[in-house]
Amino acid sequence: MSMSEKNGLHDLTFKSIIDALPCYLMIQDKDFNILFANHSFQKDFGSKVLGKHCYTILKGVHHRCPDCPVRDTFEDKGFHVSEELIYLLDGTVVEMLAFSAPLFNVIGDVVASIKLLANVGSIKNIHRELVTLGQSIALLSHDIKNILEGLHGGMYVLEEGFNDQDYDLSWHGLEIVKRNVTEITRVTQNILDSAKDRKPSFQEILPADLARQTGQLYADKAQSMGVQLLLQVNPDIPALEMDPTGISRMLNNLVWNALQACQKDIQKRKHHVHVKLDFYDDYHFMFEIEDNASGMDHITQENIFKEFYSTKGHTGTGLGLMVVEKIVKNHLGKIEVLTKPGRGSLFRIIFPLQLNAFLR
Amino acid sequence: MNNAQKKILVIDDNQDYLFTMKTFLTRQGFTVFTAPDGKTGIDIISNDLPDIILLDVMMESLYSGFDVCKFVRNDPKLHSIPIIGISGLKDELGISFDKDRDNEYFSPDAFFDKPVDKNALLKTIDELLS
Repeated sequence: MSMSEKNGLHDLTFKSIIDALPCYLMIQDKDFNILFANHSFQKDFGSKVLGKHCYTILKGVHHRCPDCPVRDTFEDKGFHVSEELIYLLDGTVVEMLAFSAPLFNVIGDVVASIKLLANVGSIKNIHRELVTLGQSIALLSHDIKNILEGLHGGMYVLEEGFNDQDYDLSWHGLEIVKRNVTEITRVTQNILDSAKDRKPSFQEILPADLARQTGQLYADKAQSMGVQLLLQVNPDIPALEMDPTGISRMLNNLVWNALQACQKDIQKRKHHVHVKLDFYDDYHFMFEIEDNASGMDHITQENIFKEFYSTKGHTGTGLGLMVVEKIVKNHLGKIEVLTKPGRGSLFRIIFPLQLNAFLR
Repeated sequence: MNNAQKKILVIDDNQDYLFTMKTFLTRQGFTVFTAPDGKTGIDIISNDLPDIILLDVMMESLYSGFDVCKFVRNDPKLHSIPIIGISGLKDELGISFDKDRDNEYFSPDAFFDKPVDKNALLKTIDELLS
């Protein structure tokens, strides 16, 4: 009795093994028609996939993908790897690693390509978290160094005031020290808050107050940047249970991004950033942050919520919008981005008016 | 010429830093101007013609330190004003200034990383003014 018979494996076929693989496996022709799909694939995309285009099934589009490992395999008869975003039937988007390899006929022509897709979403998430952590530490140490510089400066001024019995000067030095102590308290709190699974602190608050606070915070900055900051608030939006720190952080990030986009745009002479709070419909309200800067192309638009994607050169880490997305999710909200190159961008954040009931 | 006749302009978007430097440099006898952003800095440079400029490089304002430096260097009436660039990004982000390498786009006469050693700064100011 052979080893496979002893282990009860003798009735396994290649197909049964391929069907059981915990990844998607397909065979495609040069026109990207699916000739074969294993069981895992058909379980997630349905049984009627044969003969259909790969891009229609996996991406829901009717045109070939710009980067396709299968196309490369047909071109150079080689083995290729790429990262792809796959859209499952339930609307979930999955990050997958795609491998392609050629299948040859007897005279050495590529007649088909194998495509294997493995879910790497969890690995990518861990990678993202590690990168975020590293970058956060770098930015954090910069913040702390600035605060220490402030504390040293404040102590110097305080001391000089004492030496000269100039109490106004001492008082000013003390104010600098106090401000920087407040700042280091905030930074320390942020470190604690950003620790894993930090629960947002919900409390009843008027969204209008948060919008106004952001408006006040950036009024001087906008003026110095030559941008008109407009605030339009519907006072009828009721008080809701929200995490005020998170929502303020979200608004601050979006307004600061818009101001910087205006500053970068050299095509127009006058710029404005419009912050609006209003009802979206009977069940939702919205914040809108609109600018008339240079807008975004589709590549930027597709990538803005990814980690460290930034168009700001050395002044941006790309973390801001990732933070925004997280905060919006915590409030069961949704982000819409409307943009047109040369015209400007609008970020619309929609939250349910029944937040209190949902979050309780 | 003593320090009192020398005008120093400090440009930095950190108000506490501006006040500290103003206190320190005033006590060394200089006449000190401060600007919280690049645009104001450029206005002061054009109107008051400082003898030396302390310039924060990474300001989040309409004109950054790079822009101010470029403005000064491109104006024949101003281009010889000594500029001391200051930045706090060296350690954290691995950004540093190399006069030979970076002179094309940023051309200060000296460069300091924050926290600035006040004695070393005074020595450099004396050298650049003499």
